[in-house]
Amino acid sequence: MRGRGALAAGFIALAAAAAVPLVVRNSFALHLCILVFLWATLGEAWNVLGGFAGQVSFGHAALFGLGAYATAILYLRAELAPWWGIPLGGIAAAVVSIPTGLVAFRLRGPYFSLATLAVAELTKLVALNWEWATNGPTGFLITSLPTLHLFGISVDWEAKAPFYLSALAMMGLAMGTAAALSNSRLGSFLLAIRENEDAAEAVGIDTVRAKVLTLALSGFLAGVSGGFYAFYFRYIDPDAVLNLGISMEMVFIAVVGGLGTVLGPLVGAVFLTVVGEEVRERFGAGHLVFYGLFMMLAIRFLPEGIWGRSRKLLARLSAREARHAAPRG
Amino acid sequence: MPLLEVRGLTRFFGGLRAVGNLTFSVEEGEIVGLIGPNGAGKTTVFNLVTGFVRPSSGDVRLGGESIAGKKPHAIARKGIARTFQIVKPFPHLSVKENVTLAAFLRHRARADAEAAALALLERLGLGGRAGKLAVELTLMEQKRLEMARALATGPKVLLLDEPMGGLNPSEVGLASELVESIRRGGVTVVLVEHVMKAIMRISDRVLVLHHGERIAEGAPAEVVKDPAVVQAYFGHGVA
Amino acid sequence: MGALYAMIGIGLTIVFGVMRIINLAHGEMVMLGMFAAYLGHKSLGIDPYLSLLLWVPVLFLAGVAVYRFLLARVLSGGELNTLLYTAGLSLLVANAALLLFSGDYRTLTLGYAVVPLRPFGIAIPVALAIGFALAVVITTALWLFLGRTDLGRAIRATSQNREAALLMGIDAERVAALSFGLGTALAGAAGVLLAPSLYLYPTVGELVIVKAFVVVVLGGLGSIPGAIAGGLLLGTVESLGAVYVSSTYKDGLGYVLFLLVLLYRPSGIFGVGRS
Repeated sequence: MRGRGALAAGFIALAAAAAVPLVVRNSFALHLCILVFLWATLGEAWNVLGGFAGQVSFGHAALFGLGAYATAILYLRAELAPWWGIPLGGIAAAVVSIPTGLVAFRLRGPYFSLATLAVAELTKLVALNWEWATNGPTGFLITSLPTLHLFGISVDWEAKAPFYLSALAMMGLAMGTAAALSNSRLGSFLLAIRENEDAAEAVGIDTVRAKVLTLALSGFLAGVSGGFYAFYFRYIDPDAVLNLGISMEMVFIAVVGGLGTVLGPLVGAVFLTVVGEEVRERFGAGHLVFYGLFMMLAIRFLPEGIWGRSRKLLARLSAREARHAAPRG
Repeated sequence: MPLLEVRGLTRFFGGLRAVGNLTFSVEEGEIVGLIGPNGAGKTTVFNLVTGFVRPSSGDVRLGGESIAGKKPHAIARKGIARTFQIVKPFPHLSVKENVTLAAFLRHRARADAEAAALALLERLGLGGRAGKLAVELTLMEQKRLEMARALATGPKVLLLDEPMGGLNPSEVGLASELVESIRRGGVTVVLVEHVMKAIMRISDRVLVLHHGERIAEGAPAEVVKDPAVVQAYFGHGVA
Repeated sequence: MGALYAMIGIGLTIVFGVMRIINLAHGEMVMLGMFAAYLGHKSLGIDPYLSLLLWVPVLFLAGVAVYRFLLARVLSGGELNTLLYTAGLSLLVANAALLLFSGDYRTLTLGYAVVPLRPFGIAIPVALAIGFALAVVITTALWLFLGRTDLGRAIRATSQNREAALLMGIDAERVAALSFGLGTALAGAAGVLLAPSLYLYPTVGELVIVKAFVVVVLGGLGSIPGAIAGGLLLGTVESLGAVYVSSTYKDGLGYVLFLLVLLYRPSGIFGVGRS
């Protein structure tokens, strides 16, 4: 699906999804959807860098956590409402990612991945110890959200619907960004970088600029997600928003869903949330076991991810139909 | 003024001097051959000129403008393109996309870039393979793809790193013709090559490198007879 | 501590050198060693140091099996895929352990290891001392193995130039499998030796893997003497850091050092290994 058709389909899907809270009242179901949207956004954020540009980061939790902390601090210390704070959190993450990227992107492949791991762990260490700024291990608790009047109604922050819609909007933004990127020149350049960075440089592509720009974009999306997390779950501490598990889940979503595709992370997020909930019910902790297992299975059997493979199958099916439909002669 | 100039170019890797005080120039429209025994520093010279490696000292000038130490993409922008000794295609992208990406350097709109790419592919005999993935091509085809991609950046100077490597004699003949046609198209060529037949046939001038230094320069027929060159290739004790 | 870091690092660097795989699951191998020792001690009363004799071969075989059945197929997908695959494996193993053992911190205390030794007035915990001694023994044995035996030389040859090794009739696949087994065994052994000195918990692998990479990068990826040097260096930096800078940031020192080396001396502080 390309161009206008895809855009129209996207809008219809979004509109349909937005109508869901009118019909569905089950709090838990809505909560699951919110989780899916959140993880899909994070997946898209990671995918932009990891799937399109081929730069595997194991430290994206740092950007997520940065956004969460920035938004929380702005709200609790400066009384800045979340609808301003969350985008600012995203911008903060993006801004921080720029110098980090300029340095880290000097490294290639697995060295880069390892460096991101180290940076993320360092960030967590700083958050744990810089008590003055981040409250250390205690973290931040957000007890109440500010009042907001929309269309004459006062928004009820205790209900799921407002969060559902915000998360949906956030995911829509993320997917829209990913789609726009994949159709742009920058997107094509990223693919070139992924395929062969030296060759990309040799044909005039400024690889450092492309990578840093992409990281900033990725950071913005991750930071916004962090801000959302802070206000939905209302509690953040270094272990909740800066731990390695989050980074790995982002990788997982993108890989299992479909590296380098726009819809892949959504598929991955649905998968992860569904499986995660099932496992959490049965087993309690250790649900990541299945993430590990599925990631291995995906790489082994479905390297393009669930959506990536489905897309290929669909393409082959429609090609076959076209051949049958075309007249001979 | 020569189109491409190299002055006192030197590069150390740790204690090893890969290229030492190298000076040469290339006039517009020439085909210059760069030869020398293995390890003479030929690919390093290419890497230095195209920005993949920074010089320890010395200068590289294109059209009088110093480009030493610039990043590869900037140098490509200025008009020097290269191919790699071991081909570096974008493996899982289509042949057309491979070249289109390079064409973006000179054409902003995708439609224009794609058109330019297709034209180049036709010219290099790859028109029929445009839809295939780069990995699916034969070696000879991949080398031509590499050349098409380099040409798509609209260079003034094209550096070819062992374009004939791995080709059989008839393919070498075809490749030689291709290089000549590239020159006729207005591109200056410097090529590193071990296949002597090709070098002799198409080069206007030949430079011989040994241990990173220039040991001979001149018309192909003369250079081959130069005793210093013979000694470099075959060592002492050759009559 | 440094010597144990070195052991872990050697395991990792061998795997990288031979197969160009960066095994993210290496930390989990160490964790398995720790838990193996713990279980052996708790349920059967076996002294962990003695249990090395049992666990090392077991882990070696496990490593070979992992390579043969899991890794070998994925290698053709490329570096990136392999990296992600081992990441998945590490998630799998760590969390399987979490399911089986729960996330509680455990300790393994040895009856005879409570009172520290005091040579020259410095207090050294007995467990660390024994661990160090055994690590040195194992490393020396490994060194001899790699230097003197045919198999050892085959491993070194494949690690330096895979194609040349193939041409010489070395079965590179077999060497790869054995190297992986060796790396795993080393990791597990290090785990066993570490068990009496550290808190045991299933996700300790996360901590270990980062340190392992610091060690390996410090010394140069693929270089065994480098890994030894790197391990000792890290151990020293951490101990000094804990004393002079602050004990909370001592982990951070390792990370910073790691990043600095990656950026400025990718072939390792000692200039060995490839970038």
